Formats: sequence, structure tokens, C-alpha cells
Amino acid sequence: MTEYLIRRILQSVLVLFLITLVTFALIHAAPGGPAQIFLSPNMSQEAAKVQMHNLGLDKPVYIQYIRWIGDLLQGDLGYTFKNHIPVGDILWPTVKNTIVLMSAAWFLAMLIAIPWGIYNSTAEYGLSDQTASIISYIGFAMPTFWFGIILQEIFALKLDWLPLSDMWTMGKEGQPSDLLLHLVLPVTVLTLGFLAAYVKYSRSSMLEVLHQDYIRTARAKGVQERRVVFRHALRNALIPIITILGLDLPMLVAGAALTENVFNWPGMGRLFVNMALAREYSVLMAITLIVAVMVIIGNLIADLLYALVDPRVQLGRKGGRAA
Amino acid sequence: MAERLLEIRNLTAGFLSEQGIVKATDRVTLSLDKGQTLCLVGESGSGKSVTSLAVMRLLEFAGGIILDGSIRFHGEDLMKKNQDELTRIRGNKLAMIFQDPMSALNPVFTIGDQIAESLQLHQKKKKKEAWSKAVDLLRLVGIPAPETRARQYPHELSGGMCQRVVIAIALACNPELLIADEPTTALDVTVQAQILDLLQRLKQEFGMSILLITHDMGVAAEMADRIAVMYAGIIAEEGTVAEIFDNPSHPYTIGLLKSIPGFEGERGEELYTIKGTIPSINQLPDGCRFHPRCPHVMSRCREEEPPLLAINADHHAACWLHEETAAAGQRVGVSAWKAKQSRTEVKRA
Amino acid sequence: MSGAKLEAAGKPDLPRSNPKPPGPWRAVWHKFIRNPYALTGLCILLFFIITAVFARWLAPYNPSQIDLLYANLPAGTDNHLLGTDELGRDIFSRLLYSSQISLLVGFSVAIVSVVIGTLIGALSGYFGGWLDTCFMRLVDVMNSIPLLFLNILILAIFGSKFSYMILVLAFTSWMGVARLVRGTFLQLREMQYVEAAKAIGVSDWSIIFKHLLRNASFPIIVNATLMVGGAILSESALSYLGLGVQSPATSWGLMLTNAQEFMLVDPIQALYPGLCILIVVLAVNFIGDGIRDALDPRKKIKIPRRRLNQWRKDYSKFGT
Repeated sequence: MTEYLIRRILQSVLVLFLITLVTFALIHAAPGGPAQIFLSPNMSQEAAKVQMHNLGLDKPVYIQYIRWIGDLLQGDLGYTFKNHIPVGDILWPTVKNTIVLMSAAWFLAMLIAIPWGIYNSTAEYGLSDQTASIISYIGFAMPTFWFGIILQEIFALKLDWLPLSDMWTMGKEGQPSDLLLHLVLPVTVLTLGFLAAYVKYSRSSMLEVLHQDYIRTARAKGVQERRVVFRHALRNALIPIITILGLDLPMLVAGAALTENVFNWPGMGRLFVNMALAREYSVLMAITLIVAVMVIIGNLIADLLYALVDPRVQLGRKGGRAA
Repeated sequence: MAERLLEIRNLTAGFLSEQGIVKATDRVTLSLDKGQTLCLVGESGSGKSVTSLAVMRLLEFAGGIILDGSIRFHGEDLMKKNQDELTRIRGNKLAMIFQDPMSALNPVFTIGDQIAESLQLHQKKKKKEAWSKAVDLLRLVGIPAPETRARQYPHELSGGMCQRVVIAIALACNPELLIADEPTTALDVTVQAQILDLLQRLKQEFGMSILLITHDMGVAAEMADRIAVMYAGIIAEEGTVAEIFDNPSHPYTIGLLKSIPGFEGERGEELYTIKGTIPSINQLPDGCRFHPRCPHVMSRCREEEPPLLAINADHHAACWLHEETAAAGQRVGVSAWKAKQSRTEVKRA
Repeated sequence: MSGAKLEAAGKPDLPRSNPKPPGPWRAVWHKFIRNPYALTGLCILLFFIITAVFARWLAPYNPSQIDLLYANLPAGTDNHLLGTDELGRDIFSRLLYSSQISLLVGFSVAIVSVVIGTLIGALSGYFGGWLDTCFMRLVDVMNSIPLLFLNILILAIFGSKFSYMILVLAFTSWMGVARLVRGTFLQLREMQYVEAAKAIGVSDWSIIFKHLLRNASFPIIVNATLMVGGAILSESALSYLGLGVQSPATSWGLMLTNAQEFMLVDPIQALYPGLCILIVVLAVNFIGDGIRDALDPRKKIKIPRRRLNQWRKDYSKFGT
């Protein structure tokens, strides 16, 4: 087990290294490169050179990369090109805000979707099942940001029940009740997105298990139907669901770009889009790194949970999935 | 005469399809005495598994539906019970084992847990007590080192071992009737024999009855007291094992027996095969279901379906060839017919 | 479908007892058009395709013609069927032209990613070995990265050109097809007719394209159809964020950005483009599901509850 963990972590470090290398190379290979954004055409050659030198952009790319990695290892994410603000200062608060938003939506979706999907698998094509199926059809086909805009128009503008956007009302920063009110609409939008997939998934996972031979054996043993579902089938059905949940973990930091933009939520997704539009590569690199770390952790958690619920899987023997 | 344990009358069961209902079994009538073994023989698709699931009332869970008939177990009609009442009978006095032992055990529970559950449910045993009984059962079905095995998961056992575990689960509450649906089909030949021996031994020890479903006439010969041959959803022939093997009366049974290698005929002779294939249950021919494949088809067979006719008190066949015999209560006809049959075979060869 | 083909390939000179059975395409088509959802989806998609193709003649105004004198007109005034936006552009005309963009993105992304996915899947499945390991690892990696995030990153680096966007979307959606083609190939590689073809010296490429891909064609079509919907959604999201289609060109996503800015003035503006996206994607998904169901021989038949209960009552003496 420890040996497995150590091996996985070493693997992950290697993968992270590769990801930073690829991203760095891409950014510097792009037409114009990072220099493009702050060099205006009417800037003098001399001034440009000085700027490039100050930012270290006149060095060969590999030197730049080594310097960036060196700084990173000391916890320094670099500075923005435009205003020369430390990246960490603007990044970390947004990460926190995103996690608040996403975990609320994610837990809510799980709490609703898994029991609902399980119930639907026992009452196929019933009213509840049909409702869920309509919801997932719409959830898969509807642009989430549009749903957000419509909710804003109805509940914030027309009815004036909920705040239109942002995380806090001016002057009420830090009040939990204010945060809750601001959470309602974006969480609704995000939950619907997760819900569509999770209900469908847990239903089909459960249905597959319910058609297995060992369920018939349990019934032949005289086990009551409720116990068949909740004891014999549920644990088997949870195995793939848990894996999916683990793999979705990176969504907690990266999945809210659209919703955060609609609701002006000061999260990482919105920061990412703004920085992408402004081509602030140092911030983009930092966020890419965070997402990559989340992907790796998500994979690891999925594997660990998988081994925990399924006795057929033994961690030591299985060559871990690379992230 | 021994006590009647199971009596199936006119069991008609089937599945729902787009066109309506497809009958997988049609007026199946069978009976089984205490302490006896009844073998249900037939090709795949003949309705034997549906029959066994219907007796367990598990057919509903497999998407099937019982349309008509009665299933009396111990004089009680299982059809009149709801699923809640049935859970008290299933696994208790009426148990079942299945074809594929590897998939019949739940992968996330230990073997001991799976056996003990039955005891906890039906005999209200405490967990510890049930566990030690489970270990005893494992020993009984011939699993070495039962204490350690009980703590293992199904994937750690071989197919033959798994089938022993499935049998142990079924035996946990001393059932009076054990339904075994092709218990050896998925296993290696050597293991097959061991499992069959085990069933035979346990039957004697517990004094239980067995309803054994198989497609293998050889297995039936070894295990059965009575044999019922199914074809396309009906009972084609039914009788004691001696009657069926000495005096097979339905052309289908004769075909089945002939197609066993080394059962009849010379070495090196081409193996007999019944021409054609079993019809699909949603497009049965008119008249007798076997007539398109029957070497003795008469015009009547194409129009009218034969009922199960008595050849003697212990032997019935659903074939028009035996109408006169049945009416006269004689059995000469069959032998005469059989002689004629073998002559035509010679000619053909 | 594959069964019929296998038989034909395996025993070429077997006389057919029946007259030629209907081809697999026709059989699927027959099942498909009997599915009301799929048929509705097809009609809707055809409608949108037609309006997109004839947008130039159908649109009453130039979609990018700014006329500040007539900004934010309500629906129905002055020949503006759905009114005008904040710059006085005709919303109806913009919707029509946007459908061109969306469908173009949807179909071209689907085609490009089917090509990429098929190629990778075919190579992986046919040759196996280290090539397979590498490609499948790549699929795993791609699948675990949040794709919208990746799209934004790449577009931020390379700039938001329309052709880039199609390529980027295609490069992030080929994995499903690759898996599928690989799976089919792994299954079929061992089949006798492939062995036979190899034995008589048919080249690898010819086996891949003539024999194997044909067997995978239906599942690929299903996957591609569902991909069209995904691509339309991604395009609208990227355009909404400002990284996709750029003004003066128009797209439903871009229209929503404008609509959100002016939702205090004219809330109804946000309704149309979103509704268009929803309907088109829904239609495409219905078509995809319809094809998939038509292909699946073991498809569970949905029997209306009332009919089922009636049967139970008619046939069964004992309710369950």
C-alpha cells in the first residue's frame, strides 16, 4: 500500500513535469510568444529590449523554463506581465471561492442524483424515471450559461428574490446568510449540469447490477427485495459511481468557468478566462498546474476508493492509471 | 406411494414482447415425489429454465410473466402467494442453484457472509452462530480448509469451488426441494462428475428432492428417477428413467438418445443428428411443434397438436403415433414402431 | 449487421434461400423513422440546415448592419420580426446567420474528430503492441483533463481564429471514436475472414478500410452525431466567453454575451439564441439516440404501462 502510494506519487511528479514542459513550450511556440502582449508597435527598440530583459524573456526558452521551475519550487508563481502583481496574490483567493461554489453544487448533485438514480432503476419507465430522463436530455442539450442568464432574469430582475451576481453584497462581506443567497442561482445551474449525468449514471450502473446472476442468487436465497437492492446491489453499483466521482474531482476547480462568468463569481474559472483574454501567461501557467494537480489527485482518489469498495482490486498488483 | 412434494399443472409462462405475449412454456405438467430426482431435459430454448424460474417465482424478476397454471409445493399453491410470503419459502424449504457459479456469487461479500445470510434470514440465527454453521456447510460440500475459505471472496475460488459454495448456500436451511439449473454446464468435465456425486450424496443425506435441469441425457441417466423431455415449451415425453431409456416413444426423445455418442450403433458410424433446429418460441409451427423435424410426420401432425398421451401409468408422450396405444392401454405398438424405425435406418445407411 | 456480413464474407458461394434480405442501412432506417423522437429530431435539424443554407435570402436585413436609431426595438416593429439589439441589428437575421456558424462548427468538428479518432483507433486496434499502449494512454490523459479548460488554454495561446476553434474542438473530442474503433478492431481482428484476407495477401490498409471499418461504421455514426451536439455547445460557450467567434461575425453564443449585457433593457433578447441552441442540440441528440436504438437488437421495448397492465389482467390470474 505505501509502496503503491510512493510509486504513484513519483509517477505523478513525472506527469506534472511533462505537463509544465508542454504548456511552457506551447506558450513560447505560439506566434509572437508572451512578448506580444506588452510590446506595443510604437515602443522603441531600446525600450522593448529593456522590458524583455527585465522579464527575463530575452534568455533562451530552456533557461526561462528552468528559472520558472526553480521559482515554482520555492512557492513563487511569478508575476503578471501587465501590472507586475504576484500571481499567488490574485490566484489563491479565487481558488477558495471556486471550491466553495463547486463543492456546494457537487455535494448537492450527489445527494440528489445517487438515491434518485437508484430509485429509478427499481421503477424503470415510471413517472420519476421519465422525469429524470427528461431532465438529463435537457441538461445535456442546454447551454448552462444560458440557463444561468434565464434564472438571473427571472429570479433577480423580474421577481427580485435573489441577488443578480457576485459573491457578496457591498458592505456585507463575510456574512454567511449573504453568501448563501448569492450561492442559490449559480449552485442551481451547476447542480443541474452534474445531476443530468449522475442520475443517468447511477441508474444504469444499478440496472446493470440488478440483472446480474448474483442478484438472482440473493432472491433465490429468500432475501427481501429491499435488502436485495440496498445490500446486495448497492455496493456493487457504487463501485463505478465512486470512480466517476473521483475522476470528476478536477471539475471542482476547472468546471465552473462558464457559470462563474455568468454570475460574476470571483473564482478561478473567471480569472482563467479573463487572463486568457488578456494573455497573462504566468497566471495561465499557474492555473494549468493547479488543474493538473487536481486531475492527478482525482485519479489517485478514484483508484484508492475503487480498491476500497471492490475486493477484486488489489492496489499493489494493479499498474496505476497514469494521469 | 411416496408423498407428492411438487406438482406443476398447466404451467404457461412467457415474456412480453412488442407483438404481445410470447409463451415460453405451454401447459407444462410435472410432478415430483419426496426424495426423488426429476430431470428436465431439453435443448436450449425449450423452456426448461423458464419452468424452473417459474417454480421459484423468480421469473417475474427476469422480465417474464406466469400466465396460467398452478404450482403446488407441499400442497400449497405458490401462485397464490405474494413475493413477501415467498421470501420465507425461497432459500428455506425451496432452494435453487444456477448454471454459472462464477457469476452467481456476489463479488463484494465473503463466501461465509453469503452462506450465513441465509441462516440469519430463515433460522434467525445470531451472526456468530450462523458463521460457524456456514463453515460446517463448507466442510460438508467438500471444501478444504473451510475456516479460511469462508473469509475469502468469490474471485479467489475456482469455478468448481464456487459451485460448491452455491450448493452450500442452497443447502443452508435443509431444503426439501433443490432446483438445479444446469449446475455442471459451465464446469470442466472432471469437476462436473464431482459436483454430480456431491449432489447425489447430499440428496441421500438430507432426504431432499431434486429438480435437475440439464441438456445432457447422460447426466439425466445418472441422476434421475424420472425424466421429462421438453421441446419448444411443452413436455414431449415423461416417464421413469427406465421407461425413457428402454422404451423412448416420442421421436424427439429417440433422436436425442441416438445423438449421444456410443449410446446406440456401431463405432465409426456417423453420429445421428436431428435435422433442423428448435423453432423460436414466437414462430411455432402449426400442429405438433416437432413435425417439421420429425421423420414420422403424418398429415394429422401438421394440423393438430397432440396432447400428452399415456403409454402406460408411468409413461406419457405427446405424439399422435401413440394414440391407439394409449386408447388400448397396450405397449406393443411402440416396440413394433421401433423395429420399423431401425429398419428404415439400415436402409438409409 | 455484422452477422450478415460475416456470413457473406465467410461463405461466399452459399446459395441464399431467401431473396436478398434488406440491407443493413435500410433496416436501420426503417426502425429509425418509426421512432417519433428521432424523426422529430431529424425534421428539426433539416429545418435548421435549410434556414442556414438559405440564410442570405431568408434574412430580411444584413446581420451586422448597425443602425443606432433603431436600437432595442421590441419584436414585430418595423419588419423586425424579433426586434433589434442594442446596436440596432436585426435579431432574426442574426439568428439565421448564427445557425450557419453553429452547424458549420458542429459538423466540421464531428468530421475532423471522426477522422482523427478513426485513424488512431484503427492503428491502435489493428497493430496493437506499444502503439496501442501509447495511444490509449493518450486517450486516458485527454479524458481526465477538463476539456473546456483545455480549449480555453489553447485558444488563449494561439488566438481565436474560426479555423483554430474547429481544430481545437476536434482535437479534444476524438477520444470516444478512437476507443470505439479500437474495440471493434480488437474483436474483429481475430475473425476468420480477416485471417483469410491476410493469408491471400491483402494489405493491412486495405483490410482496415475495406473490411474492418465497414463493421464499425454504424457506431461511429452514432458517436459522430452526438459529437455534433457537443461541438455546438462548446462553440457557443467559447463564443460567449469571448474566445470563439469574434464580432462582426455572429454566433448564438456571442449573441448571448450581448444579451446579458443589456438584459436590464431588453430581457427577451437572451431567450432566442439559447432556445435555438437547446433545440438544435436536442434534435441532434435525439437523432443520435435514435440511430443507436435502431442498431441495438436487444433494445428493451418500452411497453405502455396501460397496455402491460391490460395484458396482465387478461392473461394472468394472479397479479404480481
